[in-house]
Amino acid sequence: MISTLWRRTSGTLGTVLLCLGTLTFVLPFLFTVVTSLRTAADVARSPLGFPHSLTLHNFTEAFGQIHYGRSALNTLLITGLSCLSITVIGSLASYPLARITQNWSTWVYRLFILGTSVPIFVVVAPLYLLMRDLNLLDSYAGVVIIYTAINLPVAVFFYTSFVRSIPVDLEEAAALDGCGALRTFFTIILPLLRPITSTLLTFVALQVWNDLLVPLVFLQDPDKRTVMVNAYSFIDPHTVQPTTLFPAALLGVLPLLLIFVFLQRHVVAGMSAGAVKS
Amino acid sequence: MFHRRRATMAAFLLPAIVIYGAFMLYPLARGVYLSMTDSLGGPIANFVGTEQYRAMADDPKVTAALWHTVLYAAVVVVAQNGLGLLFASLLFRRPKVRKTLSVVLLTPTLVSPVMAAFIWSYLFAPEGGINALLGVLGLDSLQHVWLGDTSTALYAVAAVNVWMFAGYSCAIFLAGYMSVPTDLLDAAAVDGASGWQRFRSVEWPMLAPALTVNVTLSLIGSLKVFEFPLVLTNGGPAGATDTLTMLVYRNVFGGGKFAFGIAVSVLLLVTVVVLSSATSSLLRLRERRI
Repeated sequence: MISTLWRRTSGTLGTVLLCLGTLTFVLPFLFTVVTSLRTAADVARSPLGFPHSLTLHNFTEAFGQIHYGRSALNTLLITGLSCLSITVIGSLASYPLARITQNWSTWVYRLFILGTSVPIFVVVAPLYLLMRDLNLLDSYAGVVIIYTAINLPVAVFFYTSFVRSIPVDLEEAAALDGCGALRTFFTIILPLLRPITSTLLTFVALQVWNDLLVPLVFLQDPDKRTVMVNAYSFIDPHTVQPTTLFPAALLGVLPLLLIFVFLQRHVVAGMSAGAVKS
Repeated sequence: MFHRRRATMAAFLLPAIVIYGAFMLYPLARGVYLSMTDSLGGPIANFVGTEQYRAMADDPKVTAALWHTVLYAAVVVVAQNGLGLLFASLLFRRPKVRKTLSVVLLTPTLVSPVMAAFIWSYLFAPEGGINALLGVLGLDSLQHVWLGDTSTALYAVAAVNVWMFAGYSCAIFLAGYMSVPTDLLDAAAVDGASGWQRFRSVEWPMLAPALTVNVTLSLIGSLKVFEFPLVLTNGGPAGATDTLTMLVYRNVFGGGKFAFGIAVSVLLLVTVVVLSSATSSLLRLRERRI
């Protein structure tokens, strides 16, 4: 009786402590949100104190400073096109890689997987020369191609292991009914790929939206710059007040947070994908 | 019939092979070649063999950057996975709050590295959040210029990395926990095993695959860190947070030492490939033995 009571109390206590621990962990984030809603004078008076009045002024200020409207649209366009091209090209490639069991296809697969451990820094300089020669510097197309190339290894890895887990019976039946490879892919395989596609999409969208290096190097035209590049080049964190710094940081993640609210189940699944199976 | 089918199927690979080959494999090969030239990025380049590599070996900045990169990765891998594992094992025992808290822990992961660096550059500032907090707690003696001191800067930058991705490690460990058969845990509970005993002899071995994934991912991720040192310290103070990626960026896009920068990037590639394949094969060997 007493031991049950003791266990229950210590269990509740543990849960409370765990909640507090989690809270401490995300405290910098909450602090960012609260501070960006305060006035500069208020923050200067007591950086950690409770806000006396809330204002959206900091956000409108940061909005103009990092040219948010234009750069958010640019980032959205680049992220959307990259996601589309990675999923289409990646899923198409995974079908033969999963189904054709021959020496050459194993090698092609390995070549793709190799790419998962190649840091972009290793190819960035030669890629710059290549893009310059192809006249693709300063173009959305160039950036989308680069994102496609560097994310294809992950897409191929995700899709191929997923297609391998789909039984071949359905496809054989379709083949006997006279379905070609193309039709089999579109009517049978593609619809089955939906869950892994949303997982992959959240992964890729996070990568592309948050990336600094590729747009910094390959997009010089101010009109084409992304949110991260503008935030990086217009705001120096060492001289700037938190009331300018924090709203800028929040504006950078706002669209992702909104998407996350709708897709959180897939995001969590996507982030932990592969851990159980491997 | 099946022959033609297979040919069509193989054709599906074409777009992927073209893009991956032209924009990943070709630049990779060209980079290795350029690292053996005196290229400045223009059309003229002479083959100079291992000259850039010899210059690299003689350059204390490169040796220091290599050491910073490896040390940074070691700190991040240990701290991030330790924290992730701690949160995951505590959350696993509390199914009621598990889902909500694991989602909350993931929010820093959504913040981009640039934005996380913005937030923490204020928190680490001399008059910033952490020192103010220490002041409020009466721990003034611990106040510090975190990013301005050569002895703490690299660890401060690593802490931001850990903060951002510990929730991610936690999510992967939790997924690993979900694959532990419940009857195994029940049996251990019936046998009267304590919480620590259950963790040590049942959960920890079952988490081996999750550990392999987590360590490999965090190792590769931290070896190629760029945005954190760039935004937080720009390599300073006195080069204390200069990593290999920072050297690549600075030499290739501004230093006029194009080929040298590419040679540093090849060093980065070798470091990543050697360390990550050694670690993951060791961990897989361990998985099999358990």
